[in-house]
Amino acid sequence: MIIEALREIQHRDGFLSAGELQRLSSRFKVPLYELQGLAGFFPHFRLELPPALDVRVCADMSCRLSGAAALHRSVEVMAEERFSGRMVVEEVSCLGQCDRAPAFAINDVIFNRTSTGEIPQLLAAAVGGERLKPAPALRHEAELRTDPYCGERHFDALRALLESKDATKALAELKASQLRGMGGAGFPAGTKWEIVRNTRSDQKYIVCNADESEPGTIKDRFILEALPHLLIEGMIIAGYLTGAGKGIIYLRHEYEAQRAVIQAELERCRRDGLLGPSVLGTGFTFELDLFISPGGYICGEETALLEVIEDRRAQPRNKPPFPVTHGLFNKPTVLNNVETFVYVPFILMRGADAFRSQGVNGCSGLKFVGVSGHVNHPGVFEVPMGTPVREVIFHCAGGVSEGRSLKAFAPSGASSGFLPASMVDIHLDFKILAEAGSMLGSGAIVAIAEGTCMIDMAMNGCKFFRNESCGKCVPCRVGSQKAVDILASIQQGRATEADLAVVDELAETLMLTSICGLGQVAANPFTSVLKHFRNEVEDHLRRKRCPSGVCFQPGPPDGSSRRFVTHRDTGG
Amino acid sequence: MADPAVHLTIDGRATTVPAGTTVFDAARTLGIPIPTLCHQSNMEPVGVCRECVVEIEGARVLAASCVRPAEEGMVVSTNSERVRRTRRMLIELLLSDHPRPCARHREFGDCELEVLAEREGITTPRFPGSPGPRRIDDSLPAIRVDHSACILCDRCIRACTDVKSNFVIGRMGKGYPTHIGFDNDLDMGASSCVSCGECMVSCPTGALTNTAAPATELTTGMKFGLDELLHIPIFRGVSSQFLEKNQGGVVKRNFRKGEILCREGEFGSTAFYILKGEVEVFLTAPLAHVKKAGGALGFMSKLTSLLAGGREDPRPDASRRPIPIDGPVDLPLDHPVAVLGEGELFGEMTCLNFYPRSATVRATGDGVVLEMLRNVLQILQKNREFKAQLERNYKQRALASHLRASPAFAGLGDDALDELKERAELIRFEPGGVICRQGEVADKFYLIRIGFVKVTQTHPGGEMVLAYLSRGQFFGEIGLLAGGVRTATCTALDHVEVVCIGVEDFNRMLERFPEVRRSLEQTARERVSANRQHLDAVRTVPLDDFLDQGLMEAQSLLLLDLEKCTRCDDCVRACASAHDGVTRLVRDGLRFDKYLVATSCRQCKDPLCMVGCPVGSIRRKESLEIIIEDWCIGCGLCADQCPYGNINMHPFRVMEQDPGGVASRKAVLRTKATACDLCTDHAEPSCVAACPHDAAHRVNPREFFARELVQISPAHGGAR
Repeated sequence: MIIEALREIQHRDGFLSAGELQRLSSRFKVPLYELQGLAGFFPHFRLELPPALDVRVCADMSCRLSGAAALHRSVEVMAEERFSGRMVVEEVSCLGQCDRAPAFAINDVIFNRTSTGEIPQLLAAAVGGERLKPAPALRHEAELRTDPYCGERHFDALRALLESKDATKALAELKASQLRGMGGAGFPAGTKWEIVRNTRSDQKYIVCNADESEPGTIKDRFILEALPHLLIEGMIIAGYLTGAGKGIIYLRHEYEAQRAVIQAELERCRRDGLLGPSVLGTGFTFELDLFISPGGYICGEETALLEVIEDRRAQPRNKPPFPVTHGLFNKPTVLNNVETFVYVPFILMRGADAFRSQGVNGCSGLKFVGVSGHVNHPGVFEVPMGTPVREVIFHCAGGVSEGRSLKAFAPSGASSGFLPASMVDIHLDFKILAEAGSMLGSGAIVAIAEGTCMIDMAMNGCKFFRNESCGKCVPCRVGSQKAVDILASIQQGRATEADLAVVDELAETLMLTSICGLGQVAANPFTSVLKHFRNEVEDHLRRKRCPSGVCFQPGPPDGSSRRFVTHRDTGG
Repeated sequence: MADPAVHLTIDGRATTVPAGTTVFDAARTLGIPIPTLCHQSNMEPVGVCRECVVEIEGARVLAASCVRPAEEGMVVSTNSERVRRTRRMLIELLLSDHPRPCARHREFGDCELEVLAEREGITTPRFPGSPGPRRIDDSLPAIRVDHSACILCDRCIRACTDVKSNFVIGRMGKGYPTHIGFDNDLDMGASSCVSCGECMVSCPTGALTNTAAPATELTTGMKFGLDELLHIPIFRGVSSQFLEKNQGGVVKRNFRKGEILCREGEFGSTAFYILKGEVEVFLTAPLAHVKKAGGALGFMSKLTSLLAGGREDPRPDASRRPIPIDGPVDLPLDHPVAVLGEGELFGEMTCLNFYPRSATVRATGDGVVLEMLRNVLQILQKNREFKAQLERNYKQRALASHLRASPAFAGLGDDALDELKERAELIRFEPGGVICRQGEVADKFYLIRIGFVKVTQTHPGGEMVLAYLSRGQFFGEIGLLAGGVRTATCTALDHVEVVCIGVEDFNRMLERFPEVRRSLEQTARERVSANRQHLDAVRTVPLDDFLDQGLMEAQSLLLLDLEKCTRCDDCVRACASAHDGVTRLVRDGLRFDKYLVATSCRQCKDPLCMVGCPVGSIRRKESLEIIIEDWCIGCGLCADQCPYGNINMHPFRVMEQDPGGVASRKAVLRTKATACDLCTDHAEPSCVAACPHDAAHRVNPREFFARELVQISPAHGGAR
């Protein structure tokens, strides 16, 4: 309610003034420090009147690989030459357009590669007071194996379940399908739902995490556009199986177009009696609402996400207890990723065996992966679990762009770290990738061509985590900054062997003592480069040579002096 | 029903604890210490420093023991290789950004982070330090915030909100730049912090430290025990550890009937709070001013001045304003005595701003007072309960007389006053704090309870002081009446407390009392036009020398044309004879071209002499001359304040009741301040009239020099 009120004020005034916060404080009887703490935490909120033109250029992995730095410079030139004093250009975290990189936003409206040629016109329109329009959601015609309906009547899995009333059987089927959480952690979905079902409470919740924000992660954006009916059906089924009466879809605010798609589908469902006080006339109540995130990667951490819905700073909770018993408003809560819910109708319609057998190479099920970076046809692909990464990069995504050869890849964005091209035959699977010291994560494959500096990539990944750390616990807040500091000293030729010696220990501390997953993986980009690209590190360290010609430039190599806008840099 | 028991093993030792016990507490019952920075036994654990991590068998990562409930069959290791290594690393990370030694470690050697580091043998962290030191916020006199030393353990946040329910401190920002902040990230002094000190005593490092003034010990009077202090209702809510640190700043004084607690005009640094008994407050200085003329030129009167009786020589436009003093009441002009009783505070201005005592205070019976120094008074002033008490007292005893002292509010009915009392709110400002800013939307009307307020207007050429206001005066009405925008900036010159009345209440009052509205509008119009005239005058001649000599500040100068002057001293004699034999004019001063700027009041635009008068007896008429009200207590502060030495302290002899309690009268020599009054009784100043050579002139410097200077001496810097 408070976050909603903040959003309304900002929508009306363009920013949140001290006076407005004061008024809100008396209205909600909430201490002023809490409101300021909220307003200063989320990048979506502004505490000062924005300039006429507020341009933000994505600085993260896929965009960086696709010329974001050059785009940033060219936009800065426009600011100086044409809109001096009226335009501010800043870096921003991943905008979710990795397959159409580089991405940028003008006055909060997001654009991608397809619009880079029209920036002068867009700026002129925006400065003239015109409200810019984002690109509409794409229409997806291709048939997806995940969709058991293939264009026919939807929601049959739900209808059958409500008719049979056999929740036990459905849960057993789900467990037998070995469906795991697709947000990255891979916790067995059936087990999670069973715990919620068995926990007694007057109120339970189903929450869908549609806040994917890690660089390279775009699969949920695709699913929201292509399969909104399956998501909603999966959530209603979860409600029925666990005894929850209320669901919330937590959507990242950058996904304006997808929001419209979901909203339309929700309205259709309400009209058709699939949502509401008596779903399909059975007396089972299920309400489903959208919650738009005020922004920030950390909101995708499950407990941070719950905190935000409860109007608090997105600071992850200490676990245990877990959300299955103490979730939203301390009630038992099923919290799953978009993709997890989407597979449920298939499993109930076709059976656990049919789902498991979708996988190849001894793995079970399907996987949506986003492919971005140096590939010819970036995009989102539905592949069998167990598919070799080689096939995804070279077959689905059309191979490495500009005829270059593959140097490295991230199996799942910055958090999975980087693997060398020699490991490209590795299979997409939770267990196999974990054993290789990486992770399947959210399926965000980023391909990196020869000629790319891996120290620069490590820096890019570490900076992302530094920028997105909530700051709650010491290891992540301070450690993520120190990782960036050490990388900067390497890039500037100041680092010694002793500086590197501490990195593994730092990474260990981050992994073992951080409250949440963000801190645990915050040093992965760095340690994976140390492990797999040692020669390149040695070149930098001993010979002060960057084989790709990126580092040792005067000034920060990738514009790190630029102000970054996920937080207010008042520095206490 | 007792909680079911949980069995677990910690460092190889089996133990049984009630369900819900944390691993941290379970270990402690076994005598196994686990280090921590963020955890304190009186607070809900938050698990943010991670220093208390332990290894739990079968777990992928370590667990923060302060937030981890013990579970059946758990096997815990508090001291494994991994635990020790990561704990050290966490200390190193924090230490690399920590000022060493921090204020706390330097003074007491017990910064918890640095102690932990020393114990671990960490001298030089292996990480580069933070990019730049963070801020130091010393806006609050009692507590200093060093953000560089802050480790974000959230202890102060929990102390403020959970322990004391003050709800001021929170985390601001995100990630590495996260910092603690007050209200909407204000400086601590500007926030709603009540200085309870709980945050400071909860802080493990030197991030929040006590900065009690060096002279924090009162040497006379009886010291308090801490327990005794905490039992005094006005100290309720103050953190005991904080109070302990400031204990020396407050003493108990028993007094007997007739005893004098303080005398007017004395300098001091303490305030008094009456715990028991009653005192009377009065002025011993006679209510009269130094006589102007007509005194016998006898031997005695050469040495001492005579005083004018109220009827014989009334002050011009004498207001019905009561005498404002440094206490909860004002003294009525006709009978300047008031009685203060239990629960009342006096001497705030002396204590906070070191102004002279405004009145003499004598005990009317036996009783007890608390005498306190500034650090203790400030703790109290920020205490919610005490503040409410002050507010109540002010509203009951002074608000009405302050409002009604202005002719504009004279017609206000009792019921309207009662309503305003209900709605008024007390707000404090630190020295330099802006109460309202020119150009902002006007939403409040202000009455000054204590302190001095400077009213300035900003113009393209700079800033102009319009007025100094003190206790009992009000401001903010122009903005409320004229279009709702502030026409001037009002700044606290010292520790100021104002009572404000919101715009709705103000408007409701004006609706009910149209005569109040009319007269206020009239005042507002006059003020606005006077301000405009000042401004026009300022715009005309911006000359370098003028500025250098402070003459720009003057509105009227006594100039002696040295080419005409024969040094006959007739002017001085004329002044003396007009002022009871004592001259207010000295024929000496700055030379400016061919003119001598005589030492005589310049009617400054920024009249510094008015700042600090403990009884508000110096003021200026619309026609600019300085008026010293009859109740001047002769403390001499205005004479000290005048940068040009143009206020004189005049001795006079009076017979006086000895306030020491002996029932006898004796002759004493006292003083009162005088300044050139422009001889307003006469057609022109007597010095000017007396000059036989047409050398003495009272001039408006800007007009005069605009006309004269450019002709006579172009070398003296043309207009820019």
